[in-house]
Amino acid sequence: MTMTDSAPTITDSAPVAEPASAPPPEHAPVPASASPRATGLFDALTTTDHKRVGRLWLRSGLVMLLAITIIGVVVRIEYITSSPDSVFGGINSFFQYFNLYRIGLALLVAAPLFIGLATLVVPMQVGATNIAFPRAAHSAAWLFMIGAGITVISVFAVGGWGALDGVTPAQRDAIALTLVGTALVILSLIVASVCIATTVVSLRTSGMTLLRVPLFAWSMLVATSVWLLTLPVALANLAVVYFDLRGGPGKFAVVEGSNAIYTQIGWLLEQPQVYAWAIPVLGMLGQVVPVIAQRRHAQHIVAVALIGVFGLLSVGAWNQPWFQGPRYDEKFVYSYDETFVFIVFGLFAALPVVGLVAAGAKTILGRPPTERMSAIPRLLSVHSLAALGASVLLLAGTVAGLVRVIEPWDLGGRTTVTAVMNLALFASVLAAIAGIWFWAPKISGKELPAAHGRLVTLKIVAGAVLLGGADFVSGFFEAPAFAYSVATSSAVLVAESPHQDLIQAMNVIAVVGAVLIALGVLGVFAALVKAAKSKELTDDNPYGGQTLEWATSSPPLAGNFSEPPERVVSEAPLLDAATDTVNEIGKSEIGKDT
Amino acid sequence: MVTTTGLPAAQINRPRTLLVGTVFGCAAVFMGFVGIIGIYVLQRANARTAVPEVEWFPEGVIDLGPSGFIFWTLVLSMFTVQWAVQAINADDRTNAYVALALTALFGAAIFNQLWFIIGDTGFALAASEAQFLFFVVNGTFIVFLIAAVLFVTFTFVRALVGQFSPRRAEAVSSAAVFWHTVVLMWAVVYFLIYIGK
Repeated sequence: MTMTDSAPTITDSAPVAEPASAPPPEHAPVPASASPRATGLFDALTTTDHKRVGRLWLRSGLVMLLAITIIGVVVRIEYITSSPDSVFGGINSFFQYFNLYRIGLALLVAAPLFIGLATLVVPMQVGATNIAFPRAAHSAAWLFMIGAGITVISVFAVGGWGALDGVTPAQRDAIALTLVGTALVILSLIVASVCIATTVVSLRTSGMTLLRVPLFAWSMLVATSVWLLTLPVALANLAVVYFDLRGGPGKFAVVEGSNAIYTQIGWLLEQPQVYAWAIPVLGMLGQVVPVIAQRRHAQHIVAVALIGVFGLLSVGAWNQPWFQGPRYDEKFVYSYDETFVFIVFGLFAALPVVGLVAAGAKTILGRPPTERMSAIPRLLSVHSLAALGASVLLLAGTVAGLVRVIEPWDLGGRTTVTAVMNLALFASVLAAIAGIWFWAPKISGKELPAAHGRLVTLKIVAGAVLLGGADFVSGFFEAPAFAYSVATSSAVLVAESPHQDLIQAMNVIAVVGAVLIALGVLGVFAALVKAAKSKELTDDNPYGGQTLEWATSSPPLAGNFSEPPERVVSEAPLLDAATDTVNEIGKSEIGKDT
Repeated sequence: MVTTTGLPAAQINRPRTLLVGTVFGCAAVFMGFVGIIGIYVLQRANARTAVPEVEWFPEGVIDLGPSGFIFWTLVLSMFTVQWAVQAINADDRTNAYVALALTALFGAAIFNQLWFIIGDTGFALAASEAQFLFFVVNGTFIVFLIAAVLFVTFTFVRALVGQFSPRRAEAVSSAAVFWHTVVLMWAVVYFLIYIGK
């Protein structure tokens, strides 16, 4: 039985699949080919095809990525000037844009990019015709766009997550609007997470046990599970703050002279929760390693376990001010930094990353010496470089996090916290870019230009290392993550530290890093434009992928598979076709209920 | 041409998509509720530590009777919603209609009772941290209760028009799972906030 070899087309509208020979299972999503297809805006508003929904998420995430990285550059320039009046014109504006950068990088960029990739790819990886609850997934994409729009516009209207230097009634309304926008974004991520997790659990094809699920799909199951357990808690925090702001006693939504509102959801960007945004980085690494080596992952089961452990160590909803005793000391350092669980999570988070990198190295280097050289061109492909670069950034982030929890150094509240955040979140961004390049044939039917991709990878890796490294070093010299003086209505962005010259030098390096990242992001858009102009279509499986999405055409048919995928007997079903012995294994499994 | 094992395709018999999605959704909903309860409980503990002589709620303001009625009504509704699942699985439509209608009715009664409790306390949103959090917790529960009643009512209507059979009873099971989650929420509220006030 064959999978599919249908000819690809250059249009955005994929060809319609032939009806499957077997009747669809009960409650299975109906292939998109069952209904007449529309195009344009109507299609964008009404589609239930997971590939189109995934593209909506990806476009939104990429636009937000461009905006957030530009804001990041401006914020870092402000650090050099030592005063928030230079660029932003005041402490409130600086605070709001600084928070937009931090929150936006996680909620408006990293999460939607991964959700977009997962919505697009995971159903194909598990052999499904569509995502679970396609209408809900589509609604979530639009809800995200509306929420993100409200959030950004309300920050432009001097809203944001609190104010440090007095607010007018109009600004108070704008702050409330920011809270609504953020809540809508979180709600959309929750709905999309339910769809993705259900797809992996319920819609796997015959023979595909959870241990045989491709590592990216598995990492998305772990990530969405963690998000489902933690994002609703953030939603609860926002609800309490919002209602307090709109008529409560004013204890929870302290608007003036405090960063209390931000800190209610700031735990989303602190250890250990910040690692939750980077769980799919490990899945991406596990996905490309077998493609580089052109063999099975040497430690697939171990990789599954390590991704699960990393997910457990990134659950951080407990780590927030409201669940603690005294909120802050006079230095605005959280009192919970030294708790035992916090230290344990910080110490062990790096281990799964090290394990997965080692397992990847074993897979690639495990080939006979004569065959290792043949892997070098595949190692230099964009998806490989970007996935490996993302893993290195995540490793650096978790190691920085490990150092941050070592109590004698007392790095809480310093730029070390920002370093961990930047390294982890830009690891996520780079892994998402790796995914966009890797699955471009399935996204658009075309390959993205490799030269652009390598440059993008280089810039983002270098930029994130400079940005994160500079903050990491500054943290050891008592540079606070955010220092200000509310009493005098003036901000001092460089600490009153005896090492001000060194901190300033680090701030300059950080600006260089932020600029490099922004240039890298611009490179992504340049590559997308170039690919859009190209009429050259690619093969169905140009990189030698081993998972089921590579058995579809490029771009995939509506309904993905022209025939139901055959019984899966391992985590690399396409590689199984090349081995004679697999058929015997498979036959022995017929009749087993998986 | 790409082939895998060369084996015949098997019928997928795993789905239960709606039920699995409902379980994920319930987990998310419950975590959100736990987040609010966590804020409530820990703020109450902090307030007691800071000013031990001041009561969190004034003595005698919250009557345990109505909240207890809600709890036991919800316990009863757990049986009626499972009765509906059982009846659908047995293709007993009459019993399914009665069970679903009773469950929705219990939900409406609980809403009425909760509205009475909130009015009876005389609390104001901005009066104190304790009263504000009391409103937030009960208000959140009311939102989920309304969602559960709508879910059961929608399922009831679908049952009336004959959309369910023993082989297609997943929506009823899903409604039951969500209902049980809401009951669990009230159990947490009742013991932590009303009894442990």
